[in-house]
Formats: sequence, C-alpha cells, structure tokens
Amino acid sequence: MKRLFIPLILFLLVVLEGVAIGLLPERLLTSSYLIVPHWVFIALALLSIFYDSYDTVNAVIYAAVFGLLIDIVYTDLLGVYMFSYAVGIFVVHLLKRLLIENLLLTILMTVIGLMVTEVIIVAAYTLADSINNPVQSIVIDRFLPTLIANLIFLLILYPLVTKTLLKLRKQYISDF
Amino acid sequence: MNFFRRKSIFVLLIGVIVLVVFLGYSALNKGNKSLPEKIVSDTVGSVQNVFNVPIEYVSQFFSNISELKNTYNENKVLRKELAENKTLIYELQELEKENKELRRMVELEDSARDYNPINGNVISRSPERWLEFVTINRGTKHGVKQNMAVITVDGMIGKVQSVSNVTSTVQLITGFDQLNQISATVSRKKGGNVFGLIEGYDAKEKALIFRIIEDSGGKLKEGELVVSSNTGGLYPSGLPIGKIKEVNPDEYGLTKIALVEPAANMSEINQVIVVDRLLETDEDGSDE
Repeated sequence: MKRLFIPLILFLLVVLEGVAIGLLPERLLTSSYLIVPHWVFIALALLSIFYDSYDTVNAVIYAAVFGLLIDIVYTDLLGVYMFSYAVGIFVVHLLKRLLIENLLLTILMTVIGLMVTEVIIVAAYTLADSINNPVQSIVIDRFLPTLIANLIFLLILYPLVTKTLLKLRKQYISDF
Repeated sequence: MNFFRRKSIFVLLIGVIVLVVFLGYSALNKGNKSLPEKIVSDTVGSVQNVFNVPIEYVSQFFSNISELKNTYNENKVLRKELAENKTLIYELQELEKENKELRRMVELEDSARDYNPINGNVISRSPERWLEFVTINRGTKHGVKQNMAVITVDGMIGKVQSVSNVTSTVQLITGFDQLNQISATVSRKKGGNVFGLIEGYDAKEKALIFRIIEDSGGKLKEGELVVSSNTGGLYPSGLPIGKIKEVNPDEYGLTKIALVEPAANMSEINQVIVVDRLLETDEDGSDE
C-alpha cells in the first residue's frame, strides 16, 4: 500500500493539471502569456532530491512513465514530455550529488531542471509544427511566466512533502 | 564512475531512439488513438469528471457574482428582445411547416443544415496548449466520431480530433492550421455570395484568418456574420463562426483576407454541443 502512495499522488497531479486551468482568470487566458503547469515535474524534482539516494533513480523512471501519461492525455505528440521530464529530472539527480538539500538549493536545482525540460519541449514542438516564433517572444511569453508560476507551486509543496519523503526514504533504505 | 558514465550515455541514446519512434508514430497516426491510449485517456477523463464538479461550482460562483452587477440593465434589454421574439416564433413555425411541405414535394429528406446535437461538458484543457485542445466528457459511447464539428450556444469552437470511449479531444479553431480549414460564407439577406476558407488563427490580432476565394459582388463590411458552409463536406452549413473585424488585401494583392473575431468565447468554454451531421460526411474527412 505504501508503495502505491507516490504513484497515486503523481497521477492525481496529472489529472489536476488539466482541470486547474479552468480556475485561471480569464484575462490571463486571453493574454499572450503562456503558463504551462509542470506540477508533476516539481513533485518529481522533490522526489529526486528528498527520496532518492545517490544511486537510485526512482524519480527518473517515474518521470518517464508520468511524462508519457501527460503526452497521451493532453497532447497529440507522444514522447515529448516523457523524454524531456526524464532528462530534466536526471539533471536534478546529477546536481543533487554536488549540492546539499536546503530550500534555496532545491529551488536552484528545480529551476535548472525545469529550464532544460522547457527547452526540450519547445524545441520538439517547434520542429514538429514548424512554427517560427522568435526566441525573444518565447522567453518572455512562455519561459518566464511558466518558471514563476511553477516556483510558486514549489514553495507551496516544499513544506508539505519534504518530511514525509525523508521518512519514506528511510523506510525504503531499511527495506533492503 | 567510468562505468556509470558509459551506462548513462547508453540510456540517453535509448531515450532518444524511443523519442524518435514515438514522435514518428504519433505524427503518422494523428487522430487515431490506439487501445492503450484510449484506456489511459478514459481513466484520466473519468477522474477529471469527478474533480470538475466542485471546481466548476467555485468558478461559476465567482462569475455569477460579477454577472449580478449588470443584471438590471441586462434585464431591460432582454424584456425588449423577448417581446420581439414572440412574434418571430409564430413566423418561424409557419416557415418551418412550409419548408417541410416543400421538402416533401421535392423528396429531399435531410438538409445540409440538420444535425443531431450531442451535449457535453469540457472537463480539462491541455496545460501545454490552452488555446488548442480541450477534452470533453463524451465519446464513442455517446455517438461522437472524429471530425465532427463542436459548437457552443454562441458559435463554432472546433472539431473532434480524436475519440476514446467516454472522452474525446477537441481541436479548437484557435489551434487550426493549414491542414484543417473550414469552408465558410458570409450570411447575408441580399447581395452577392462570398465564399472562402478559414485558414488559421492570428494570435496577435486574436482573430481567425478568412481567405476569400469567391466574391461575386457586394463589399465586405465590418460586423458581418461568417457562418460555416456545406461545400467543405465536413460541417453542416449555418454554424456561426464569427464576425468580420477587418478586411485586408493579401500579400500578393490578388485575394482579400478578412480577420474574423470568433463568436464563441474561446477562453471560457464549459457546455458544448457536438454536431452529428445527418447528411453523409465525405469519407476522406478533409476539406477542399
């Protein structure tokens, strides 16, 4: 039962990502800004930092699985989220070896991972749709609002889950 | 460490190969969902259905409050319109009867305007592309098929991109591209016919691009209503699309391009109607 806890939460986040857009104010929806909720990514980054030890890659595997889920449910191109989430979380995993786990460094690691992910996603969609948006407008309209909105989500999630994840990690290690 | 490096590069390469395979697969099978995809979207859709109820309740509550402010003025206008409509109803009934009789005389059963409405609700929007895809809680079980037009009470909002058992994905007109154009005409009482194609969406102008192909007299005016036309063979005729905002010559000066403001509010879509056309639809499913 405890093993199902993490996948269940992640699945719930996938579901809510799509529903929550309905709650955004209408002015934001019609403006040129594009805020992409990456709640699953944020949760996975926390999972990677606080749950995985140095040589387990649970979060990366979860990233691939739930990335694929997002691809199937929300987009018409398969594989983009799967690949970019897995790479982004792997970057977080590598950074974790160098840095320690506190709030500021967690934010730093998540931001770097999220940026890698976003660049891959935008690159993949640009290639597939052959839309030529200038880089400047992508940065201002998409990267910055997305980054800020997801950081807010990270700050909400951080105090809620870190303790639980550290507890779960202890159990996970003692299982072996 | 060396071993780890080699292993991670190996995994990365496999990842890239999987990505390319998946991309190729989905690019080739656009719109046709495979069985596992259908199962996944149905499961997620039914959970979203549950969550959607309280969320819609909350957002309804706030929009109700803001609507309350101009209720009084609205009521005045509506009363006036209601009185006008009463006379219109009698007229309409007479015309309908006459139309039916005339149809029977020429033995024409289904008109290009007739359709079966399938009512549904929007349960989620794609987080990746707000203005391109929404998911609705109606699927094959309720009779939804690919390429059916989707409308709200105000006007056309898009077409069904892919269907699962109890959910389906709707591609919005704001996300249309060259591959799925809508044939449209301008609705007029008198004057020449104007026929053309809705070619895409201009995000900066927030308007649809309407390329005029045939224009037999009569100038296009701002505010004229653009409706779907039967000539594309995909949608029933007479679905309102939007109002003309601006008319410009195209870049070569040969044809005219009109910017059309969508009739439906594209940012707040809740209740939708899937249009099940009674007239047989072309099998290839593409617009001319």
